[in-house]
Amino acid sequence: MLCDRCQKRDAKILYTEIINGVKKEQHLCEECATDYTSFQMEKPLMNSDLTLGDLLSTLLETYTGAGQKKAGTDTPALTCENCGMTYDEFIGKGRFGCARCYQSFHNQLSKTFKGIQGSDIHTGKRPKGLTATAQPGQVKRDISEIEMLSIRLQEAIEKEEFEEAARLRDLIKQMRKEEELNNA
Amino acid sequence: MLKWYEQIVPDSDVVISSRVRLARNLETYPFSSKIADEQALALVEEVKGIHASLSEKENKRFYACNISTLSDIDKIAMVERHIVSPLLAEKEQATGLILSEDETISIMINEEDHVRIQAIVGGMNLERAYLEADRIDDIAYEKLHFAYDEKYGYLTSCPTNAGTGLRASCMVFLPALSSARMIQKLIEEVGKYGVTIRGIYGEGTKSLGSIYQISNQKTMGNSESEIIENLKRIVFQVVKQERKRREYMLSVNTDEIEDQVYRSYGVLKYARQISSDDAMTLLSQLKFGKDCGLIKFDREFNVHKLMMGVQPGSLQWTLGKNVGSLTRDQSRAEYIRKELPTIIN
Repeated sequence: MLCDRCQKRDAKILYTEIINGVKKEQHLCEECATDYTSFQMEKPLMNSDLTLGDLLSTLLETYTGAGQKKAGTDTPALTCENCGMTYDEFIGKGRFGCARCYQSFHNQLSKTFKGIQGSDIHTGKRPKGLTATAQPGQVKRDISEIEMLSIRLQEAIEKEEFEEAARLRDLIKQMRKEEELNNA
Repeated sequence: MLKWYEQIVPDSDVVISSRVRLARNLETYPFSSKIADEQALALVEEVKGIHASLSEKENKRFYACNISTLSDIDKIAMVERHIVSPLLAEKEQATGLILSEDETISIMINEEDHVRIQAIVGGMNLERAYLEADRIDDIAYEKLHFAYDEKYGYLTSCPTNAGTGLRASCMVFLPALSSARMIQKLIEEVGKYGVTIRGIYGEGTKSLGSIYQISNQKTMGNSESEIIENLKRIVFQVVKQERKRREYMLSVNTDEIEDQVYRSYGVLKYARQISSDDAMTLLSQLKFGKDCGLIKFDREFNVHKLMMGVQPGSLQWTLGKNVGSLTRDQSRAEYIRKELPTIIN
Protein backbone atom coordinates (compact mmCIF):
# COMPACT_ATOMS: atom_id res chain seq x y z
CA MET A 1 0.00 0.00 0.00
CA LEU A 2 1.26 3.45 -0.89
CA CYS A 3 1.46 6.35 1.55
CA ASP A 4 -1.73 8.43 1.63
CA ARG A 5 0.19 11.67 1.58
CA CYS A 6 3.03 11.33 -0.91
CA GLN A 7 1.65 8.39 -2.90
CA LYS A 8 5.26 7.41 -3.58
CA ARG A 9 6.68 5.36 -0.73
CA ASP A 10 5.26 2.31 1.03
CA ALA A 11 2.99 3.12 3.95
CA LYS A 12 4.36 1.64 7.16
CA ILE A 13 2.51 3.58 9.80
CA LEU A 14 -1.16 3.83 10.59
CA TYR A 15 -1.66 7.32 11.93
CA THR A 16 -4.91 7.92 13.81
CA GLU A 17 -5.91 11.43 14.65
CA ILE A 18 -8.94 12.49 16.67
CA ILE A 19 -9.79 16.16 16.47
CA ASN A 20 -12.97 17.35 18.16
CA GLY A 21 -14.30 13.83 18.20
CA VAL A 22 -13.73 13.32 14.47
CA LYS A 23 -11.54 10.32 13.84
CA LYS A 24 -9.26 10.28 10.83
CA GLU A 25 -6.98 7.43 9.83
CA GLN A 26 -4.06 7.72 7.48
CA HIS A 27 -1.55 5.24 6.17
CA LEU A 28 1.79 6.99 6.06
CA CYS A 29 5.36 6.30 5.09
CA GLU A 30 8.10 7.06 7.65
CA GLU A 31 9.10 10.33 6.02
CA CYS A 32 5.60 11.71 5.84
CA ALA A 33 4.79 10.53 9.34
CA THR A 34 7.59 12.53 10.92
CA ASP A 35 6.93 15.47 8.69
CA TYR A 36 3.30 15.32 9.51
CA THR A 37 3.73 15.00 13.25
CA SER A 38 6.29 17.79 13.49
CA PHE A 39 3.99 19.88 11.35
CA GLN A 40 1.25 19.30 13.87
CA MET A 41 3.57 20.32 16.68
CA GLU A 42 4.06 23.79 15.24
CA LYS A 43 0.39 24.26 14.58
CA PRO A 44 -0.56 25.73 18.01
CA LEU A 45 1.77 28.68 17.39
CA MET A 46 -0.34 29.80 14.49
CA ASN A 47 -3.82 31.19 14.54
CA SER A 48 -5.92 29.75 11.75
CA ASP A 49 -6.62 32.92 9.79
CA LEU A 50 -3.46 34.70 10.74
CA THR A 51 0.14 33.74 10.17
CA LEU A 52 3.15 35.11 11.91
CA GLY A 53 4.75 36.07 8.61
CA ASP A 54 1.72 38.22 7.93
CA LEU A 55 2.20 40.07 11.21
CA LEU A 56 5.93 40.52 10.74
CA SER A 57 5.55 41.90 7.24
CA THR A 58 3.10 44.44 8.65
CA LEU A 59 5.79 45.43 11.08
CA LEU A 60 8.41 45.78 8.38
CA GLU A 61 6.12 47.83 6.17
CA THR A 62 5.68 50.24 9.03
CA TYR A 63 9.38 50.68 9.49
CA THR A 64 10.26 51.11 5.86
CA GLY A 65 7.17 53.22 5.38
CA ALA A 66 8.43 55.55 8.08
CA GLY A 67 11.78 55.68 6.33
CA GLN A 68 10.23 56.78 3.06
CA LYS A 69 9.16 60.08 4.55
CA LYS A 70 12.05 61.78 2.76
CA ALA A 71 14.17 62.31 5.84
CA GLY A 72 16.89 63.89 3.73
CA THR A 73 18.06 61.27 1.27
CA ASP A 74 20.93 63.33 -0.08
CA THR A 75 23.80 63.50 2.37
CA PRO A 76 26.78 65.25 0.83
CA ALA A 77 29.99 64.22 2.62
CA LEU A 78 28.55 63.90 6.09
CA THR A 79 31.54 63.47 8.41
CA CYS A 80 31.99 62.71 12.10
CA GLU A 81 34.08 65.55 13.52
CA ASN A 82 35.47 63.41 16.31
CA CYS A 83 37.03 60.53 14.34
CA GLY A 84 36.83 61.66 10.72
CA MET A 85 34.58 58.81 9.59
CA THR A 86 32.37 59.82 6.67
CA TYR A 87 28.83 58.57 6.30
CA ASP A 88 29.73 56.77 3.07
CA GLU A 89 32.63 55.08 4.80
CA PHE A 90 30.29 53.96 7.57
CA ILE A 91 27.83 52.51 5.07
CA GLY A 92 30.67 50.79 3.18
CA LYS A 93 32.31 49.23 6.24
CA GLY A 94 29.18 48.76 8.29
CA ARG A 95 31.14 49.95 11.34
CA PHE A 96 31.03 53.17 13.32
CA GLY A 97 34.30 54.99 13.95
CA CYS A 98 33.55 56.16 17.49
CA ALA A 99 30.74 56.81 19.95
CA ARG A 100 30.21 60.31 18.54
CA CYS A 101 29.39 58.93 15.07
CA TYR A 102 25.94 58.09 16.44
CA GLN A 103 25.31 61.82 16.96
CA SER A 104 27.00 62.87 13.73
CA PHE A 105 24.91 60.54 11.57
CA HIS A 106 21.82 60.90 13.73
CA ASN A 107 19.46 61.98 10.93
CA GLN A 108 20.27 58.92 8.85
CA LEU A 109 20.40 56.35 11.61
CA SER A 110 16.73 55.88 12.45
CA LYS A 111 16.17 54.41 9.02
CA THR A 112 19.26 52.22 9.24
CA PHE A 113 18.31 50.83 12.62
CA LYS A 114 14.71 50.24 11.70
CA GLY A 115 15.91 48.37 8.65
CA ILE A 116 18.34 46.04 10.38
CA GLN A 117 17.02 45.90 13.92
CA GLY A 118 13.32 46.50 13.35
CA SER A 119 13.51 49.33 15.83
CA ASP A 120 15.62 52.41 16.52
CA ILE A 121 14.85 52.75 20.19
CA HIS A 122 16.64 50.95 22.96
CA THR A 123 14.23 49.78 25.65
CA GLY A 124 16.57 47.70 27.79
CA LYS A 125 19.15 48.27 30.47
CA ARG A 126 20.54 51.68 31.43
CA PRO A 127 23.94 51.82 33.08
CA LYS A 128 23.55 51.73 36.85
CA GLY A 129 23.69 55.20 38.37
CA LEU A 130 23.75 57.03 35.03
CA THR A 131 22.21 60.46 35.41
CA ALA A 132 20.10 61.49 32.44
CA THR A 133 22.26 63.51 30.10
CA ALA A 134 19.49 64.29 27.64
CA GLN A 135 16.76 66.83 28.25
CA PRO A 136 13.72 65.41 29.96
CA GLY A 137 11.34 63.74 27.54
CA GLN A 138 14.07 63.16 24.99
CA VAL A 139 14.17 59.46 25.64
CA LYS A 140 11.01 58.79 23.70
CA ARG A 141 11.59 61.36 20.99
CA ASP A 142 10.50 60.79 17.41
CA ILE A 143 7.92 58.12 18.14
CA SER A 144 4.84 58.50 16.03
CA GLU A 145 1.59 56.88 17.04
CA ILE A 146 2.06 54.24 14.36
CA GLU A 147 5.52 53.39 15.65
CA MET A 148 4.14 53.15 19.16
CA LEU A 149 1.49 50.72 17.97
CA SER A 150 4.16 48.74 16.12
CA ILE A 151 6.11 48.32 19.31
CA ARG A 152 2.97 47.08 21.02
CA LEU A 153 2.32 44.78 18.06
CA GLN A 154 5.80 43.34 18.42
CA GLU A 155 5.19 42.77 22.13
CA ALA A 156 1.86 41.13 21.42
CA ILE A 157 3.49 38.73 18.93
CA GLU A 158 6.15 37.83 21.41
CA LYS A 159 3.59 37.15 24.10
CA GLU A 160 1.63 35.12 21.53
CA GLU A 161 -1.44 37.30 22.08
CA PHE A 162 -2.57 36.89 18.52
CA GLU A 163 -5.99 38.43 18.84
CA GLU A 164 -4.52 41.62 20.22
CA ALA A 165 -1.83 41.46 17.53
CA ALA A 166 -4.41 41.15 14.79
CA ARG A 167 -6.32 44.11 16.22
CA LEU A 168 -3.16 46.22 16.28
CA ARG A 169 -2.22 45.14 12.78
CA ASP A 170 -5.58 46.26 11.44
CA LEU A 171 -5.36 49.51 13.36
CA ILE A 172 -1.92 50.22 11.89
CA LYS A 173 -3.13 49.41 8.38
CA GLN A 174 -6.06 51.75 8.80
CA MET A 175 -3.93 54.55 10.20
CA ARG A 176 -1.45 54.21 7.39
CA LYS A 177 -4.22 54.39 4.86
CA GLU A 178 -5.51 57.58 6.47
CA GLU A 179 -1.99 58.98 6.52
CA GLU A 180 -1.61 58.29 2.81
CA LEU A 181 -4.91 60.00 2.08
CA ASN A 182 -3.83 63.03 4.08
CA ASN A 183 -0.52 63.22 2.27
CA ALA A 184 -2.09 62.84 -1.14
CA MET B 1 36.40 24.88 41.38
CA LEU B 2 34.76 22.87 38.60
CA LYS B 3 34.71 24.41 35.16
CA TRP B 4 31.31 24.82 33.51
CA TYR B 5 31.89 21.91 31.12
CA GLU B 6 32.88 19.57 33.93
CA GLN B 7 29.55 19.91 35.73
CA ILE B 8 26.53 17.69 35.21
CA VAL B 9 23.54 19.83 34.24
CA PRO B 10 19.86 19.42 33.24
CA ASP B 11 18.66 19.28 29.59
CA SER B 12 22.22 18.66 28.43
CA ASP B 13 21.00 15.86 26.16
CA VAL B 14 20.28 18.65 23.68
CA VAL B 15 21.45 21.96 25.16
CA ILE B 16 25.16 21.76 25.94
CA SER B 17 25.65 25.30 27.15
CA SER B 18 24.05 28.72 27.37
CA ARG B 19 26.05 31.83 26.63
CA VAL B 20 25.47 35.54 26.87
CA ARG B 21 27.68 38.28 25.46
CA LEU B 22 27.45 42.00 26.13
CA ALA B 23 29.18 44.42 23.74
CA ARG B 24 30.46 47.62 25.37
CA ASN B 25 32.66 50.49 24.25
CA LEU B 26 34.46 53.25 26.08
CA GLU B 27 33.61 56.83 25.20
CA THR B 28 37.22 57.92 25.29
CA TYR B 29 38.71 55.73 22.53
CA PRO B 30 37.85 55.47 18.83
CA PHE B 31 36.10 52.19 17.92
CA SER B 32 38.04 49.25 16.47
CA SER B 33 37.85 50.50 12.86
CA LYS B 34 39.60 53.75 13.82
CA ILE B 35 41.69 52.94 16.90
CA ALA B 36 45.46 53.49 16.60
CA ASP B 37 47.98 50.91 17.86
CA GLU B 38 49.09 52.93 20.88
CA GLN B 39 45.48 53.71 21.81
CA ALA B 40 44.74 49.99 21.62
CA LEU B 41 47.58 49.32 24.06
CA ALA B 42 46.27 51.95 26.47
CA LEU B 43 42.75 50.54 26.16
CA VAL B 44 43.91 47.01 27.00
CA GLU B 45 45.78 48.28 30.07
CA GLU B 46 42.84 50.37 31.27
CA VAL B 47 40.30 47.56 30.98
CA LYS B 48 42.65 44.94 32.44
CA GLY B 49 42.80 47.17 35.52
CA ILE B 50 39.31 46.12 36.61
CA HIS B 51 40.27 42.50 37.29
CA ALA B 52 41.17 43.18 40.94
CA SER B 53 37.78 44.66 41.77
CA LEU B 54 36.11 41.77 39.93
CA SER B 55 38.01 39.23 42.06
CA GLU B 56 37.04 41.10 45.19
CA LYS B 57 33.35 41.59 44.41
CA GLU B 58 32.68 38.26 42.75
CA ASN B 59 34.54 36.25 45.35
CA LYS B 60 36.47 34.22 42.84
CA ARG B 61 39.77 34.69 41.13
CA PHE B 62 40.03 36.59 37.84
CA TYR B 63 43.15 36.52 35.68
CA ALA B 64 44.11 39.23 33.21
CA CYS B 65 46.60 38.99 30.37
CA ASN B 66 47.62 40.36 26.98
CA ILE B 67 46.75 37.93 24.22
CA SER B 68 50.10 38.57 22.55
CA THR B 69 51.89 36.97 25.53
CA LEU B 70 50.09 33.67 24.96
CA SER B 71 51.47 30.85 22.85
CA ASP B 72 49.64 29.78 19.70
CA ILE B 73 48.49 26.59 21.42
CA ASP B 74 47.00 28.59 24.29
CA LYS B 75 45.16 30.78 21.83
CA ILE B 76 43.76 27.88 19.79
CA ALA B 77 42.75 26.02 22.94
CA MET B 78 40.94 29.11 24.21
CA VAL B 79 39.10 29.51 20.93
CA GLU B 80 38.07 25.85 21.08
CA ARG B 81 36.74 26.33 24.61
CA HIS B 82 34.86 29.48 23.52
CA ILE B 83 36.81 31.67 25.93
CA VAL B 84 37.97 33.97 23.15
CA SER B 85 36.74 34.49 19.60
CA PRO B 86 38.87 33.60 16.57
CA LEU B 87 38.98 37.35 15.78
CA LEU B 88 40.52 38.24 19.13
CA ALA B 89 43.13 35.47 18.86
CA GLU B 90 44.22 36.52 15.37
CA LYS B 91 44.16 40.30 15.68
CA GLU B 92 47.45 42.09 14.98
CA GLN B 93 46.75 44.95 17.39
CA ALA B 94 47.05 44.70 21.16
CA THR B 95 44.21 42.62 22.63
CA GLY B 96 43.55 41.48 26.16
CA LEU B 97 41.59 39.00 28.22
CA ILE B 98 40.17 38.78 31.72
CA LEU B 99 39.10 35.27 32.69
CA SER B 100 37.47 33.86 35.82
CA GLU B 101 39.04 30.72 37.27
CA ASP B 102 35.97 28.57 36.47
CA GLU B 103 36.02 29.93 32.88
CA THR B 104 32.41 31.10 33.27
CA ILE B 105 33.28 34.74 32.70
CA SER B 106 35.61 36.00 30.02
CA ILE B 107 36.10 39.61 29.02
CA MET B 108 37.65 40.22 25.64
CA ILE B 109 39.42 43.53 25.21
CA ASN B 110 39.76 45.30 21.84
CA GLU B 111 37.81 42.72 19.87
CA GLU B 112 35.25 44.21 17.47
CA ASP B 113 34.11 46.25 20.46
CA HIS B 114 36.36 47.60 23.21
CA VAL B 115 34.91 45.27 25.80
CA ARG B 116 32.98 42.07 25.31
CA ILE B 117 31.71 40.50 28.48
CA GLN B 118 30.83 36.85 28.08
CA ALA B 119 29.25 34.39 30.49
CA ILE B 120 28.90 30.65 29.73
CA VAL B 121 27.05 28.14 31.86
CA GLY B 122 26.34 24.48 31.19
CA GLY B 123 22.93 23.24 29.99
CA MET B 124 19.83 25.28 29.36
CA ASN B 125 20.22 28.30 31.61
CA LEU B 126 20.19 31.56 29.67
CA GLU B 127 18.83 33.51 32.64
CA ARG B 128 21.77 32.60 34.81
CA ALA B 129 24.24 33.38 32.05
CA TYR B 130 22.62 36.80 31.67
CA LEU B 131 22.62 37.49 35.42
CA GLU B 132 26.34 36.68 35.56
CA ALA B 133 27.16 38.95 32.62
CA ASP B 134 24.89 41.71 33.93
CA ARG B 135 26.65 41.74 37.32
CA ILE B 136 30.06 41.92 35.67
CA ASP B 137 28.78 44.77 33.48
CA ASP B 138 27.72 46.72 36.60
CA ILE B 139 31.06 46.19 38.30
CA ALA B 140 32.96 47.17 35.15
CA TYR B 141 30.86 50.32 34.75
CA GLU B 142 32.06 51.61 38.12
CA LYS B 143 35.55 51.93 36.60
CA LEU B 144 34.92 52.20 32.86
CA HIS B 145 32.73 54.78 31.23
CA PHE B 146 30.76 52.85 28.63
CA ALA B 147 29.29 54.81 25.72
CA TYR B 148 25.53 54.96 26.16
CA ASP B 149 22.84 56.99 24.43
CA GLU B 150 19.32 57.54 25.73
CA LYS B 151 17.84 56.62 22.38
CA TYR B 152 20.23 54.05 20.91
CA GLY B 153 21.29 52.40 24.15
CA TYR B 154 24.81 50.94 24.34
CA LEU B 155 26.82 52.17 21.37
CA THR B 156 28.69 49.50 19.49
CA SER B 157 31.06 49.32 16.59
CA CYS B 158 28.61 47.48 14.35
CA PRO B 159 24.98 48.66 14.17
CA THR B 160 23.81 45.05 14.42
CA ASN B 161 24.91 44.98 18.07
CA ALA B 162 23.73 48.39 19.28
CA GLY B 163 21.04 48.83 21.91
CA THR B 164 21.41 46.07 24.45
CA GLY B 165 24.68 44.81 22.94
CA LEU B 166 23.30 41.42 23.92
CA ARG B 167 23.91 38.25 21.99
CA ALA B 168 22.45 35.24 23.74
CA SER B 169 23.09 31.77 22.40
CA CYS B 170 22.64 28.13 23.18
CA MET B 171 24.97 25.44 21.98
CA VAL B 172 22.76 22.56 20.93
CA PHE B 173 23.43 18.95 20.02
CA LEU B 174 21.15 17.92 17.14
CA PRO B 175 22.23 14.49 15.86
CA ALA B 176 18.72 13.30 15.00
CA LEU B 177 17.62 16.45 13.20
CA SER B 178 20.87 16.70 11.29
CA SER B 179 20.89 13.05 10.23
CA ALA B 180 17.35 13.60 8.96
CA ARG B 181 18.69 16.63 7.03
CA MET B 182 16.24 18.90 8.77
CA ILE B 183 18.67 21.63 9.85
CA GLN B 184 18.16 23.77 6.75
CA LYS B 185 14.42 23.73 7.29
CA LEU B 186 14.96 24.60 10.93
CA ILE B 187 17.19 27.54 10.01
CA GLU B 188 14.48 28.92 7.76
CA GLU B 189 11.83 28.40 10.41
CA VAL B 190 13.60 30.04 13.32
CA GLY B 191 14.74 32.87 11.04
CA LYS B 192 11.17 34.13 11.05
CA TYR B 193 11.50 34.79 14.75
CA GLY B 194 14.74 36.74 14.48
CA VAL B 195 16.86 33.78 15.52
CA THR B 196 19.82 32.21 13.69
CA ILE B 197 21.42 28.78 13.72
CA ARG B 198 25.11 28.56 12.89
CA GLY B 199 28.09 26.24 13.17
CA ILE B 200 29.81 25.65 16.48
CA TYR B 201 32.31 28.51 16.37
CA GLY B 202 29.93 31.20 15.19
CA GLU B 203 29.87 33.18 12.00
CA GLY B 204 30.89 31.31 8.89
CA THR B 205 32.00 28.14 10.65
CA LYS B 206 30.79 24.65 9.92
CA SER B 207 29.15 22.34 12.35
CA LEU B 208 31.25 19.71 14.11
CA GLY B 209 29.73 16.57 15.61
CA SER B 210 26.16 17.82 15.04
CA ILE B 211 26.69 20.78 17.38
CA TYR B 212 25.06 24.08 16.45
CA GLN B 213 24.63 27.50 17.94
CA ILE B 214 21.22 29.17 18.19
CA SER B 215 21.27 32.89 18.86
CA ASN B 216 19.23 36.10 18.70
CA GLN B 217 19.78 38.40 15.75
CA LYS B 218 18.36 41.69 16.93
CA THR B 219 19.74 43.66 19.82
CA MET B 220 17.64 46.82 19.78
CA GLY B 221 13.96 47.45 20.51
CA ASN B 222 13.52 44.67 23.01
CA SER B 223 14.73 44.55 26.59
CA GLU B 224 17.33 42.02 27.68
CA SER B 225 14.75 39.82 29.37
CA GLU B 226 12.50 39.86 26.29
CA ILE B 227 15.41 38.80 24.08
CA ILE B 228 16.30 35.97 26.47
CA GLU B 229 12.67 34.89 26.81
CA ASN B 230 12.15 34.83 23.03
CA LEU B 231 15.31 32.82 22.40
CA LYS B 232 14.48 30.45 25.22
CA ARG B 233 11.12 29.69 23.68
CA ILE B 234 12.68 28.92 20.30
CA VAL B 235 15.37 26.73 21.83
CA PHE B 236 12.72 24.76 23.71
CA GLN B 237 10.90 24.18 20.42
CA VAL B 238 14.12 22.91 18.85
CA VAL B 239 14.75 20.68 21.87
CA LYS B 240 11.25 19.28 21.55
CA GLN B 241 11.70 18.57 17.83
CA GLU B 242 15.09 16.96 18.36
CA ARG B 243 13.75 14.73 21.13
CA LYS B 244 10.77 13.75 19.01
CA ARG B 245 13.01 12.89 16.09
CA ARG B 246 15.29 10.86 18.37
CA GLU B 247 12.32 8.88 19.63
CA TYR B 248 11.25 8.26 16.09
CA MET B 249 14.71 7.13 15.02
CA LEU B 250 14.89 4.78 17.97
CA SER B 251 11.44 3.36 17.35
CA VAL B 252 12.27 2.35 13.78
CA ASN B 253 15.94 1.59 14.12
CA THR B 254 16.92 0.64 17.67
CA ASP B 255 19.12 -2.32 16.79
CA GLU B 256 21.12 -0.46 14.18
CA ILE B 257 21.60 2.60 16.37
CA GLU B 258 22.55 0.54 19.39
CA ASP B 259 25.11 -1.31 17.31
CA GLN B 260 26.50 1.99 16.02
CA VAL B 261 26.79 3.41 19.56
CA TYR B 262 28.65 0.34 20.86
CA ARG B 263 30.92 0.28 17.82
CA SER B 264 31.74 3.94 18.44
CA TYR B 265 32.54 3.16 22.04
CA GLY B 266 34.73 0.26 20.96
CA VAL B 267 36.77 2.37 18.58
CA LEU B 268 37.08 5.24 21.05
CA LYS B 269 38.09 2.90 23.87
CA TYR B 270 40.63 0.81 21.95
CA ALA B 271 41.95 2.84 19.03
CA ARG B 272 45.67 3.63 19.14
CA GLN B 273 45.47 6.70 16.93
CA ILE B 274 42.52 8.87 15.99
CA SER B 275 41.99 12.15 14.11
CA SER B 276 39.95 14.94 15.67
CA ASP B 277 37.21 14.71 13.04
CA ASP B 278 36.82 10.97 13.62
CA ALA B 279 36.86 11.48 17.36
CA MET B 280 34.15 14.14 17.11
CA THR B 281 31.92 11.93 14.97
CA LEU B 282 32.31 8.94 17.30
CA LEU B 283 31.89 11.01 20.47
CA SER B 284 28.80 12.52 18.97
CA GLN B 285 27.38 9.01 18.44
CA LEU B 286 28.40 8.03 21.94
CA LYS B 287 26.70 11.09 23.42
CA PHE B 288 23.58 10.25 21.49
CA GLY B 289 23.60 6.69 22.83
CA LYS B 290 24.28 7.87 26.37
CA ASP B 291 21.53 10.50 26.27
CA CYS B 292 19.06 7.93 24.93
CA GLY B 293 20.00 5.45 27.64
CA LEU B 294 21.27 2.88 25.12
CA ILE B 295 24.63 2.66 26.83
CA LYS B 296 25.42 2.98 30.53
CA PHE B 297 28.66 3.75 32.30
CA ASP B 298 30.06 2.98 35.73
CA ARG B 299 30.30 6.71 36.45
CA GLU B 300 28.74 9.96 35.24
CA PHE B 301 30.82 11.98 32.80
CA ASN B 302 30.38 14.89 30.44
CA VAL B 303 30.89 13.83 26.81
CA HIS B 304 31.13 17.45 25.77
CA LYS B 305 34.21 17.89 27.94
CA LEU B 306 35.84 15.15 25.85
CA MET B 307 34.63 16.78 22.65
CA MET B 308 36.52 19.89 23.63
CA GLY B 309 39.49 17.94 24.93
CA VAL B 310 40.11 16.17 21.60
CA GLN B 311 40.37 19.42 19.64
CA PRO B 312 43.93 19.99 18.38
CA GLY B 313 44.60 23.07 20.51
CA SER B 314 43.15 21.71 23.75
CA LEU B 315 44.95 18.41 23.28
CA GLN B 316 48.35 20.02 22.84
CA TRP B 317 47.55 22.36 25.69
CA THR B 318 46.98 19.32 27.94
CA LEU B 319 50.21 17.78 26.65
CA GLY B 320 51.96 21.07 27.31
CA LYS B 321 53.73 21.04 23.96
CA ASN B 322 53.36 21.41 20.23
CA VAL B 323 53.35 18.02 18.48
CA GLY B 324 53.02 16.76 14.91
CA SER B 325 49.79 15.31 13.59
CA LEU B 326 50.74 11.62 14.00
CA THR B 327 51.82 12.06 17.63
CA ARG B 328 48.74 14.15 18.15
CA ASP B 329 46.48 11.35 16.87
CA GLN B 330 48.23 8.91 19.19
CA SER B 331 47.98 11.20 22.21
CA ARG B 332 44.35 11.88 21.39
CA ALA B 333 43.59 8.15 21.44
CA GLU B 334 45.44 7.83 24.73
CA TYR B 335 43.57 10.80 26.22
CA ILE B 336 40.19 9.33 25.24
CA ARG B 337 41.12 5.88 26.62
CA LYS B 338 41.98 7.48 29.92
CA GLU B 339 38.90 9.67 30.16
CA LEU B 340 36.28 7.19 28.93
CA PRO B 341 34.55 5.27 31.73
CA THR B 342 33.81 1.54 31.56
CA ILE B 343 30.41 0.40 30.31
CA ILE B 344 28.05 -1.59 32.48
CA ASN B 345 25.27 -3.81 31.19
